[in-house]
Amino acid sequence: MSFTTPYFTLPKFTYYKPDNVSEALSLLKQHNGKARVLAGGVMLVNMMKERMALPEAVIDIKGIGELKGIDITDKGVEIGSAVTASELQKSEIIKKRCQPLAKAASYMGDKILQNSVTIGGNISIGMPSTDGLPALMSMDASLEVRSADNVRTIPSSDLVVNIGRTVLRADEMITKIVVPHTEGVTGTYAKFLNASEVAISTAALSLSLTQKKLRIAVGAISAKPYYFDQSLLGWKWDGHLEENIKTSVEIIGSSVKPMSDAVAGSEYRREVSKILVARALKDLFGGA
Amino acid sequence: MRTITITVNGLSREATVEDNELLLNVLRDKLGVTSVKAACWRGECGLCTVLLNGLPVKSCMTLAVEADGKEVVTAEGLYSDERARKLQESFVEHGAMQCGFCTPAFVVTSHYVLSRDPEIDGEDLKRELSGVICRCGTYYQIYDAVRDARKYYKDKNL
Ligand SMILES: Cc1cc2nc3c(=O)[nH]c(=O)nc-3n(C[C@H](O)[C@H](O)[C@H](O)COP(=O)(O)OP(=O)(O)OC[C@H]3O[C@@H](n4cnc5c(N)ncnc54)[C@H](O)[C@@H]3O)c2cc1C
Repeated sequence: MSFTTPYFTLPKFTYYKPDNVSEALSLLKQHNGKARVLAGGVMLVNMMKERMALPEAVIDIKGIGELKGIDITDKGVEIGSAVTASELQKSEIIKKRCQPLAKAASYMGDKILQNSVTIGGNISIGMPSTDGLPALMSMDASLEVRSADNVRTIPSSDLVVNIGRTVLRADEMITKIVVPHTEGVTGTYAKFLNASEVAISTAALSLSLTQKKLRIAVGAISAKPYYFDQSLLGWKWDGHLEENIKTSVEIIGSSVKPMSDAVAGSEYRREVSKILVARALKDLFGGA
Repeated sequence: MRTITITVNGLSREATVEDNELLLNVLRDKLGVTSVKAACWRGECGLCTVLLNGLPVKSCMTLAVEADGKEVVTAEGLYSDERARKLQESFVEHGAMQCGFCTPAFVVTSHYVLSRDPEIDGEDLKRELSGVICRCGTYYQIYDAVRDARKYYKDKNL
């Protein structure tokens, strides 16, 4: 941020606080690309301060009850997009069935920000360092996306197109995240950052020994997380753990193309990713 | 412009605000609540932390209109709570400040943390306090002050 930015003030906009989702969606449609959804506001308010977002309307969705649920249904665990990072960490359902997400939520900014940050806002910003997306991808989560005229479901792995860009249209919002049931599932999340506090690499792991399923998403090293499952990793369920870890880490290391930026170089990101995954696998199988 | 009503430290207050005003500015400039400090303006330092309906939030990241109909508690509002008074005395006893600019935010945040979990300790306590930054670096003293004040929050008679 430059010192000339007028970041003490926000640009002019009209604030709306709809009571329900359909009202929010018709406001989005009405403003035809010039409205922004406000969830936790942690990113949007900063973007407005920096004049990187200049919406004519701001639509506050955080009080909408329909977007605040965490429920078990026949589809899986359904999480409302306005559930906060603090609420995710406290939820018994998330702690038991969506461990990578419970742990990732504990990294979404500091403990105070976590009372504001929402899971929907976290993934919608489409930034590589976002902690929510790798966690959701490791659980094969899908997203319910709605507009005034349409409802569609997309895999979480299809959300981000490029850095800061998602497949969401201006009149759409994420209403729900669905994590399909996996019997006997455990999982973890690991993050490595330097003094800049921007992630160099993250790893989300989801494991079910019952269903012989292992899924890993490696985040923060490119525009969107990389996804690997047991078959891509050549995992041998009756094999030796050390051997399996070694093979997996080699496969991950040789398949990713990490970005270089002011935070870290490509090769460093690759090495850190390998170490993070190896440690997380050891933790996970140690406790499985 | 619209008129909003916020219960600030137990008193119902009205303010006429623009939709794009930050809660931080309204608290300080329109409602005279000056323990809430402005420093980084981008959610990093935590010096503008207030309790909004009981939860710590950073008021530089919150619109004033979002607080309409809600309850805000700041350091000024903690005088009525015996435990919070003792917590503040603990900051003094431990010399948990140098310039004092971050103290209201640390007091508000640690009051919330101890009210929720008076047994909290070690890394967990440090993590809970990590949303507020002290540029003078009196973290050891702050940690000791808060840790020591846990006894007041465990005391059923306070
Ligand atoms: C100092 C600091 C450090 C941080 N560190 C981290 C970190 O380490 N890791 C991390 O993951 N996050 C971090 N964050 C938080 C990150 O900014 C949030 O994850 C982000 O703000 C999104 O959450 P939100 O609910 O506040 O979204 P908002 O700011 O309300 O919204 C963000 C964007 O998404 C859109 N949006 C919101 N909800 C939806 C929805 N349901 N559907 C469609 N679009 C939507 C908004 O219009 C906006 O464009 C940090 C933030 C700060 C200020």
